[in-house]
Amino acid sequence: MSERYARENELVSAESNLYDKAMDVAIALSIVTFVVGMITFADAVPLGATGTELVNFFAALLGVVVGGTGIVAVFSYANVIPITSQRVRGVAMGLLVSAVGLTLAAFVLPVSLATMLGLVMLLEAGLLVAAGVVSRLGLVDTAPSMTAGLLAGVVFGIIGALVGAVIVGSLPGLDAAVPGVPVWLLGAIVLGVGFGALAIVPREDLGSTLPAALIIGLLGVTIATAVIGVGWQWTPENLSGGFTGGSVIPVFVLFGSLLASWSAAKCRADFGARGRQYGAFFVINLNAFLMVAIMAAIVVFVTVKGVGWAFHDFSIGALSLLVVLTPILVLTAQHARAPAGTDEWHSAARQFFRVVPLAAVGSLAALLLGIIVTGTTFEIPYQYAILVDRSTVMLDTAFRVTPSLTVGNLLIIVSGAILFTYFLRRYGSLRNVGTEYERLSLVRQGVPAAVGLLGLLSLVYVVIGPVLDNIGIGPVLGLGVATLGAVVVAAFALVPLGALVTGEGTLAERAHESAQLLNVGLFSGIALLMAVIVLEWTAVSNPQLGPVAPVPVVALVAAVSSLCIAALVARARRSTDDTLRRRVLGDEVTLALAAATGYVTLVGLHVAATSESTFALGPVEVGINGSLSWPTVLQGAIPLGQAPGGIYPAIIGTIWIVIGASLFAVPLGLGAAVFLTEYAEQGRFTELVEIATNALWSTPSIVFGLFGAAFLIPRLGNSLSLLAAQLTLSFMLLPLVLITSREAIKSVPDEYRDASAALGVDRWTTIRSVVIPAAMPGVVTGVILGVGRIAGETAPLILVLGSEIDATTAVDVLGGFAFTTTPPFITNEALLGSSAALPTQVWGIITAGVSGSPSKGWATAFMLLVVVLSFYAVGITARTYFRRKINYE
Amino acid sequence: MNNQIGDTDTDTDVSTDTSTDSELGTTAGVETSTTTTAGESEEQVRDEWTDYRFDAPAKLSVEDLDVWYGDDHALKDVSMEIPEESVTALIGPSGCGKSTYLRCLNRMNDRIKAARIEGSVELDGMEIYDPNTNLVELRKRIGMVFQSPNPFPKSIRDNISYGPRKHGDINKGLLARLFGRDDSEKEAELVERSLRQAALWDEVNDRLDDNALGLSGGQQQRLCIARCLAVDPEVILMDEPASALDPIATSKIEDLVTELAEDYTVVIVTHNMQQAARISDQTAVFLTGGELVEYDDTDKIFENPESQRVEDYITGKFG
Ligand SMILES: Nc1ncnc2c1ncn2[C@@H]1O[C@H](COP(=O)(O)OP(=O)(O)O)[C@@H](O)[C@H]1O
Ligand SMILES: [Mg+2]
Repeated sequence: MSERYARENELVSAESNLYDKAMDVAIALSIVTFVVGMITFADAVPLGATGTELVNFFAALLGVVVGGTGIVAVFSYANVIPITSQRVRGVAMGLLVSAVGLTLAAFVLPVSLATMLGLVMLLEAGLLVAAGVVSRLGLVDTAPSMTAGLLAGVVFGIIGALVGAVIVGSLPGLDAAVPGVPVWLLGAIVLGVGFGALAIVPREDLGSTLPAALIIGLLGVTIATAVIGVGWQWTPENLSGGFTGGSVIPVFVLFGSLLASWSAAKCRADFGARGRQYGAFFVINLNAFLMVAIMAAIVVFVTVKGVGWAFHDFSIGALSLLVVLTPILVLTAQHARAPAGTDEWHSAARQFFRVVPLAAVGSLAALLLGIIVTGTTFEIPYQYAILVDRSTVMLDTAFRVTPSLTVGNLLIIVSGAILFTYFLRRYGSLRNVGTEYERLSLVRQGVPAAVGLLGLLSLVYVVIGPVLDNIGIGPVLGLGVATLGAVVVAAFALVPLGALVTGEGTLAERAHESAQLLNVGLFSGIALLMAVIVLEWTAVSNPQLGPVAPVPVVALVAAVSSLCIAALVARARRSTDDTLRRRVLGDEVTLALAAATGYVTLVGLHVAATSESTFALGPVEVGINGSLSWPTVLQGAIPLGQAPGGIYPAIIGTIWIVIGASLFAVPLGLGAAVFLTEYAEQGRFTELVEIATNALWSTPSIVFGLFGAAFLIPRLGNSLSLLAAQLTLSFMLLPLVLITSREAIKSVPDEYRDASAALGVDRWTTIRSVVIPAAMPGVVTGVILGVGRIAGETAPLILVLGSEIDATTAVDVLGGFAFTTTPPFITNEALLGSSAALPTQVWGIITAGVSGSPSKGWATAFMLLVVVLSFYAVGITARTYFRRKINYE
Repeated sequence: MNNQIGDTDTDTDVSTDTSTDSELGTTAGVETSTTTTAGESEEQVRDEWTDYRFDAPAKLSVEDLDVWYGDDHALKDVSMEIPEESVTALIGPSGCGKSTYLRCLNRMNDRIKAARIEGSVELDGMEIYDPNTNLVELRKRIGMVFQSPNPFPKSIRDNISYGPRKHGDINKGLLARLFGRDDSEKEAELVERSLRQAALWDEVNDRLDDNALGLSGGQQQRLCIARCLAVDPEVILMDEPASALDPIATSKIEDLVTELAEDYTVVIVTHNMQQAARISDQTAVFLTGGELVEYDDTDKIFENPESQRVEDYITGKFG
C-alpha cells in the first residue's frame, strides 16, 4: 500500500473537526425539526404559538433532550453504557445545541412557531450549501464520488418538477406564455430538468447538497414569509375540502427535515460509500419512526377516547391482583436469573438492571399487601363525558383496588395452571435417585388404577346419575368416595414432608434419600385429587362434613405442605456442595413448587366443579364470582338505565365469531395445504388452486358478506345468525391459512422427509410427526394475520349478523347445544341466532346518529382493539412456543 | 447376465454401455459418444473385473441394475454381490451414479418421480423390487445415513426413538400411560444402547432433552447413525457420511464404521480414496457414465487394479 493511500484514508478518524461538528449539529437540527413537525402535525402545539407559549414549548423540548441525553451521558461517564462513537456523541451534542438554540430563539424572536420552523429550515439550507462548497473547494478531507448518482438525480428531478408546477401554476399573469401548452407543465419541465441536472452534473458534494438546500430553502422561505401561513387556505374547485396552513406546513417541515437529515448525514460521513450509507440510515430510520408514530397515535387516540367508559366503575380486590402477579413474579425472577448484557457492562450495573423488573413486581406486591393490611381502598377518581339527550353530561367514576380477600376461581385456575406447567416443564427427572421403597411400586401401580376407577365411577354418574339418586345411593356414594380420596391425598402430601423432617442424617441427605417418596407422593396426590374433583363434578356432590369441606381443605393443606417441602429442600440445597446432589435437590424444589401450584389450581377447580359453593378459609374466599367488578366488559347494556351499560355481549360475540371461524378454517386450510403440497401432483391443478386462493384472498369482504347473506342464511334458518357469520368469516380466513401453510410446509427441508422415509416410516406419519411440527410456526403466523383481519371485519357481519348496539345478554354457545331425536340430532339456538359483535356495534352506534352515544362507540372500538391485540398475543405466544420447540436455544 | 452365465469369450469387447449401442451392434472402437470426465482415457469394461467372488453368503445381490432419470441413463447394467458383515466402499468421481446405486438398495429411488429402475436387487435372496414388497420392513432392515447430517428438529431422545415409536415398538402416548403400558424404561434403554453404539453417549447423556440441532456437525451425523441403529437394521447404507465434517469428526465416523461392520453389513459411498482404503473390505469403482468398472478386495483395487482407468483414477490423474 502506498504511503499516500494510507494517509488519505485513515482507518480510525476519532477526532472530529469543526466541519464534522457543524454537520452533527445540522443532523441534530433536522431531527429536532422532524419531531417538532410531527408534534404540530398531531396538533399538540398550535403553529401560531408565540411568546410564552412558544418558549414553554421549546423549554419542554429542551427538558426532554437534556433528560434523554443526560441520562445516557451519565451512564456513559460511569462506563455502564460507554458511548465511544464520535458520531453518536456529536449528534447528542448537536441535539443539546439545537434545543438550547431554539429555546433562546423563541425567547428573543417575536415570531410564531410556523415562522420559526421556516427560519430553521433556511438555516439548515445555509449549512448544507456551506458544507457542499467547503468540501468542493477542498478545505476539508472528504471522499466524494464523481456524481451523486442517477437515483438522486431522478428523485430531485421529480421533486423539482412538482415544485415547478406549483410555483409557476400559482403565479398570476403567466397563463398564456406559450399558447396551447399549460403553463404549469412548462414550469415542471424546466425545474425538473434543472434540479435533476444540478444533482447529477456536479461532483457528489455539490450534487447532493445544492438541490437539497434549494428545496429546503424554498420551503423555508414559503413558511417563514407566510406565503403559506397559519391562516392560509386553498380550496381547489373540484374538491369539497381544502388544504389549510395547519396541515400543509407540518408536511413541508417533515419533508424538508427528512431531506436535510439525508444531505447532512452524507456530508458528515464525507460522501462516497460511507456517506451514502449514513444518509440512507437517517432517512430510513426517521421514516420508520414516522410510521411507528402514526400507528401509535391511532392506538393512543382510540384509547384516550374510549378508556373512560371502558373502565367505568372498575374495581378489583387486592388479593386477586396478587394472584395475577404471581406468574409475573416468576417470570421476572426468571428474567433476573438469565445471564444478560454485553461484556462492557459493569457486572454490578448489569445485575441491577436485571433485577429491576423483579423489584418493581415486588414493590407492587408490597403496595397490594399494604392495601389488604390497612383495609383502605386505593382509588383513582376521574371524569368523562357522555351524551344524554343530545347534551353532554360529565360522569364521575373511579378506578379502585379494594382490600377484598375474595378471589375468583377462574383467576386461581388460570394463574395456577400457568405456574404448574411452568414448574413442571422446568422439572427434569428424579429417576433412579434415592431409596426405592418396596411399597412405592405398589403405589405406582395402585394410583393409576384408583384414578381409573374414579374416572369410571364419574362416567357411571354421567350415564345413570339420576337412577343412582333415585335409589338414594347417589349422594352418599359420591360423598363417601370423594372424602376417602381426599384423606388418601392428604396422606400423599404429608408423608414426604414427614420423611423430610424426621429420620437420620442431615436434611440434605434425607431430602436426597426420600426423592422417590416425593416424586410418587406429589404426582399421585395431584392425580388422585384431580380424579376426585371430576367425580365431584359428575356426581354433583360437595362433601361437607359438618363445617369442613375435605377436598379444598386437603388441597390447601397439601399446597402448604408442598411449599414447606420446597422451602426445606431449598435450604438443604444451599448447604451442599456436591453437584449431583444439588441437581437432585433442585429438581425436588421445582417439583414441590409445581405440586404446590397444582394443589392451589385444584382448589379453584373444586369451586368450579361444585358450582353452588364458595370456599372460605377465614377471611379468604374463593368463589365463582371474584372481586373483579368491571361493568363495561362484564355486563350487558342496561335498557333505559342511568349508568352506562356494558358491552359484554359484543365482546363475547366477537370472541365466538373468531373462535368459530378459526375452527372451521384452520383445519380445512391446513388439510388442503398438506394435500396440495405433499400429495397432489405438482402441475396445472395445483397452480390453478394457487391462483384461485390468491384471488379469494384479495376478494373484497363485502362480497363474502353478500355470499353469506344470499347463500348461507337461507340455508341456516333464514335469519341473521352467528353460525353464518362464523362461516362467512372462515371463508375469508381460509385462503390466507392455506397460502401461508403451503409456504410453511414447502419450506420444511426435504432432508427430514428423506430421513423419515429411510427409517421405514410412511408418508402420513411423517407429515404428522415431522413436517407439520416443523411448519407450525409458519402456520401460526398465517392464522395470526388472518385472525387480525377477520376479528375487526365489519362489512360482511352487518349483512349476516346485523348490527345490534344495545344487547343485554350474551350468546351462550356452549349452553346452547341441545340434542334432538330428529335429524340433525343436535341443535344450537345460540349459533342460529343473532348476536352482538364489537365491530358491528361500533358501526351501529355511528349510524344511529344522535341517538347513539359516541363515548360508547369509542369504548367499543377500544375494546375491539384490546380483543384483537389479545388474539395477537395468544398467537405470538403459540408461535414462540413452536419455534422454541424446533429450534435449539 | 454376462457375469453369471459362463461367458467364455470375455475378451470380445461387448459393449455394456447403452442399450442402443448393443442393438446396433457397435464394436469397441466406435463407442466414443459417452461423455467422460476430462482426462479419463477410454477402454472397455471387462466382466471379470467386476466378478468378485467370496466365500460368505451374499447379503445383497444386485443383478443387471439400470436406472434412468428421464432420458438420462444414470446407472448402466450393474451387477454386484455384497458380502455379509463387512464394509463395502463405493468410490468414483462425482456424478458417476454412486448415490443412485446406493438409493436403489433400499428403494429410496422410488421417491424420485423421474427415476425408472430396471433389474433386480435381492436381500438374503428375497427380491426387493417385487411389487408386493413391504417397504416399511425393507427400510427397517436396510437403514440409511445421508451425506449431510439431517436430524429432526426434535430432542436427541425423540430423534432416536422416532423410528421405533412410529413402528409401534415403543408406546409413550397418553393412552399408553393411562393403561400402565408406558414404555419409558424401554425407550431409555434403547436410546442409551443406540447412542453407545454410535459412540455418542458420553458426549450427550446429560442433555438428551436438548434439541438435536444444537449438536455439532459430527455429533449430528453420529446421532443420525444412532437413529438408524435404533430400528435394528441388518444393512446400513452410508452416502458420504463424513464429507461435510472436519478431520477429527471424520476419523470418529471411520472408527465407528469399522466397529459396526462386526454386526452389520455396511455399504459406504465415499469420494475420499484414503478413507475407502482404510475402512473397507472390498471396493467397487464406478466411473463416468454410471458403469461399475471394477469390484474386488480393497487391497487389490488400490494396489493392483486391472483397469487402466481405475488406476488413473486412484492415482489422481482425473476425477
Ligand atoms: N433426482 C435426480 N433427478 C435427475 N437426475 C439425477 C437425480 N439424481 C442424480 N441424477 C443424475 O444421475 C447421475 C448420477 O448422480 P449421483 O448418483 O448423485 O452421482 P454421485 O453420487 O456418484 O455423485 C448424475 O448425472 C445426476 O445428474
Ligand atoms: Mg452422491
